[in-house]
Amino acid sequence: MLYVEHIWVHDMDLLLQRVFDAVTNGSTYALIAVAMVLIFKATTLINFAQGEQAMLGAFVVLQLWDWGVPMWGAVAIGMCFSGVLAAFLERALIRKFDPADHLPLVIITLGLFLVINAVAAIIWRFDPKSFPELFPSGNAFAINNIRLSWYTIFAFTSCVIVLFVLQTLLSKTKIGLAFRAVSSNIESSRLSGIKIGTTLQFGWALAAAAGTLGASIYAANPVLQIEPSMMLRALILSVTAAALGGLDSLWGALIGGLTIGFVQSVVVQYIPFIPNEMSLSAAVIVLLIVLIFRPSGVLGTRAVERV
Amino acid sequence: MRAPVLRVEGLEATYGPMQVLYGIDFSVYHQEIVVVLGANGAGKTTTLRSISGMIETKGLIEFKQEEIGNLRPSEIVRRGVAHVPQGRGTFPELTVQENLRVGAFIRVDKDVSADIDACYQNYPILYERRTQMAGSLSGGEQQMLAVSRALMSRPQLLLMDEPSLGLAPKIVEDLFERLVAINTEYGTTMLIVEQNAQLALSIANRGYVLESGSISVQGTAENLVKNDAIRRAYLGA
Amino acid sequence: MAAKIHIQEGTATYRKYRIAMWTCFIISLLLVAFAYVDVGTISIGSNKYNLSLIRLDKAIAFTIAILGLQVVVGYTGQIALGQSFFFGTGAYLSAWLVADHSWPFLMTLLVVIPSCFLIGMILGLPALRIRGLYLALLTFGLAAVFPSIVKLDKLYTYTGGAGGKLTSNYKFVAPSWLPFDKVAEGLQKIPFLGGFFGDGPLSDREESRMWKFILFSIIAAICFWLVSNLIQSRPGRAMRAVRDNETSAATSGINLAATKTLSFGVASALGGVGGVIYVAEIGIASPDDFSSLLAIYLIVGLVVGGVGTLSGALIGGLVYALIPDWASSTQSISFLPQRWLQGPTGSLILGLLLIVLTLFLPGGIVAGWRKVKKRFLQIDSATF
Ligand SMILES: Nc1ncnc2c1ncn2[C@@H]1O[C@H](COP(=O)(O)OP(=O)(O)OP(=O)(O)O)[C@@H](O)[C@H]1O
Ligand SMILES: [Mg+2]
Repeated sequence: MLYVEHIWVHDMDLLLQRVFDAVTNGSTYALIAVAMVLIFKATTLINFAQGEQAMLGAFVVLQLWDWGVPMWGAVAIGMCFSGVLAAFLERALIRKFDPADHLPLVIITLGLFLVINAVAAIIWRFDPKSFPELFPSGNAFAINNIRLSWYTIFAFTSCVIVLFVLQTLLSKTKIGLAFRAVSSNIESSRLSGIKIGTTLQFGWALAAAAGTLGASIYAANPVLQIEPSMMLRALILSVTAAALGGLDSLWGALIGGLTIGFVQSVVVQYIPFIPNEMSLSAAVIVLLIVLIFRPSGVLGTRAVERV
Repeated sequence: MRAPVLRVEGLEATYGPMQVLYGIDFSVYHQEIVVVLGANGAGKTTTLRSISGMIETKGLIEFKQEEIGNLRPSEIVRRGVAHVPQGRGTFPELTVQENLRVGAFIRVDKDVSADIDACYQNYPILYERRTQMAGSLSGGEQQMLAVSRALMSRPQLLLMDEPSLGLAPKIVEDLFERLVAINTEYGTTMLIVEQNAQLALSIANRGYVLESGSISVQGTAENLVKNDAIRRAYLGA
Repeated sequence: MAAKIHIQEGTATYRKYRIAMWTCFIISLLLVAFAYVDVGTISIGSNKYNLSLIRLDKAIAFTIAILGLQVVVGYTGQIALGQSFFFGTGAYLSAWLVADHSWPFLMTLLVVIPSCFLIGMILGLPALRIRGLYLALLTFGLAAVFPSIVKLDKLYTYTGGAGGKLTSNYKFVAPSWLPFDKVAEGLQKIPFLGGFFGDGPLSDREESRMWKFILFSIIAAICFWLVSNLIQSRPGRAMRAVRDNETSAATSGINLAATKTLSFGVASALGGVGGVIYVAEIGIASPDDFSSLLAIYLIVGLVVGGVGTLSGALIGGLVYALIPDWASSTQSISFLPQRWLQGPTGSLILGLLLIVLTLFLPGGIVAGWRKVKKRFLQIDSATF
């Protein structure tokens, strides 16, 4: 009897531990997903280079920190850097294309993907480097085998804070209002005197900054290191997270991210016939199911499909 | 006579290889209400879109004696031209209140909130719905919102594309009454494209008839109402 | 402009022109084959560039996969990015049959083509509901998961896990009746240029390489021929109608579902054939060769040649097979710091090509070439 109870307790520990892992991963996917949502809202475009832009931003953060800039200062400068870069990219590469014609835009973002990945690898090389610890190390509490690390708590909290900030920015500021107007009705926005180009640039910058924060938090995970291809997997997981949320909802991205984290760290672990390495495949299957049955996302409120 | 608020001369517009406007001339004077009539596909919407800078055109477009033909829409709005587009002129994912704020996007003065309140006084229903998404409003409410949104920029010239489209006759009458009121109260000049010729001519000073991209008939509203061809074609007489 | 030549389509002159062009093409192919069967390098400055048949065989493999992309993306307008998935499937299927069941490589095509065709059609089914960007997303995801699927422990006996599946037990042996040695000898006797063709008869390895190159070229030629017939046939016209306007295609009686699935099937089968040639050439199927990066590179191949042009596939295949390799063999360029030559320079160049071409030459190299050609030669289309 005692023995059985012991196993049960042990299993509960494991489950909780995995839920914490899910929250950790989910929060970082959510931050990249939020970036993709911002761009999708504005232009109905999926930016395949979002993960790479975020990775580049995180490398800039690392570089600044190496040069002696205080940690969070480096993060702030890194976010500004990628915001400015993204605004430039929008102007130089994206704007001239018709947003309704998807192929050239997909191709451009794939090209950006390759270029950014290569540039980062040329400058910083492929060998993994450790990233400054943005959050206190150690555990907030540890009972039996359950350990809730400070990292998990802070990663999740930062994610929620970012969402609140973004939401406030979009609903309370003039440029945020313009951004939402453009994503709702471009024609009437132009007729109301909104400069579409500038507004979209703002969206790109905001997205890239959020992405850079996401990648920095991701790389600051004590069990991970930063290297140029670290976002390859995360991109698919984040996109799936965004799609779960309907691609156009900020909070949907968070819930989508947590769901994907949960599928990856909990569900896959408990289904015996799905091997461990399948977590990426599991995400793609989730994506497939969502796209077939609820193209507007599980959490999407919009009835009409925007594609 | 005074110089016109809007003067259009030799306006030509094309979509790709297809020419839609073949050099049209017309003017709108201060405080006037001018209506443009025409069959489907005649080029009425294209004319309005040319004025507000949404498409590239050839010819002269002058607003308050200044050429605006090559300006961007955002600049034209700032000069004082507002445009209620055909059909969906609102932002469905934004609340009613936000729609009005977007309408005032170009303004930097402090009176925006006061104007919004004024608009709510005229349309109490919009006040009731102020926190609802515009997309959830009825067609008539959306049209009120679209007009109010355009007025929020405090325009000198209001372009309106078929404001009566899809609305019940009673609502259309209210809307037109309201337009007349705005016209007298603020002195807003109006250029209205309409299918409902009867009603439009009843509030208009003058009118133009557009046929396949050219102006075929023009005159004062009274003369147009009497014109036999127009009575047959647009007034169902 | 004075030197412009006019040729009327459908006349005898036109036929002669076509035959002359093709003969030139095939002769130069053979010349290249003989010239580079052993030496295989070109030197520019202090840098040596590999042009061995191994490279060209890889180019053929990529060409065929890109040809598949031309069908689904170029002609049917579906943004499907997952060609690497089918390339990998073909490669692994073939490697398994060759290594574990001692099949000859070419025979594996009989299994690979129908399997990939079917898998492509089945995976294409969701695409009937999923369009545009969503399809791009999903197919990209498909490409991303391929390596993790073949690395599964459960599939280890079939795929060889992370280490990959070796097929070196199979050798291509050139049939003895082929006069390789005579041709080589003849070429070596050409004054001045003879030196390019090495000396003495071909070794066994060289003969085998030559034989492979010829076989693969023939397979590629067959693929081109089939696809160009498909494009001109009724289903091909249906594909283009779907690309140009899905709604009006549907209203004019085209069966959207059938057209799209057919196009996915054909594209995947071509991807599979490419994979077979790839693994036949390099002798191993390893999981990370078929990652989402390959998917993007194949898109580069599609765009560089020109989306919606068949000959563009060939250019794309060559560009992808040669440029990254040449970039990494470039040891020094005077005006570039060393560091920029040591990283993934090839990937950088391909990415830049993708962006620059899309911005400035949307029709790819083929469109650019056609523009240049038009200055000198005009082919008037048949008006009767
Ligand atoms: N974006 C466009 N691209 C191509 N052709 C267009 C476009 N917009 C309008 N047209 C064509 O231009 C012509 C004039 O269109 P316009 O919308 O100006 O007509 P209209 O007078 O407003 O008609 P309606 O009363 O139906 O609104 C029509 O033949 C229409 O098909
Ligand atoms: Mg119209």
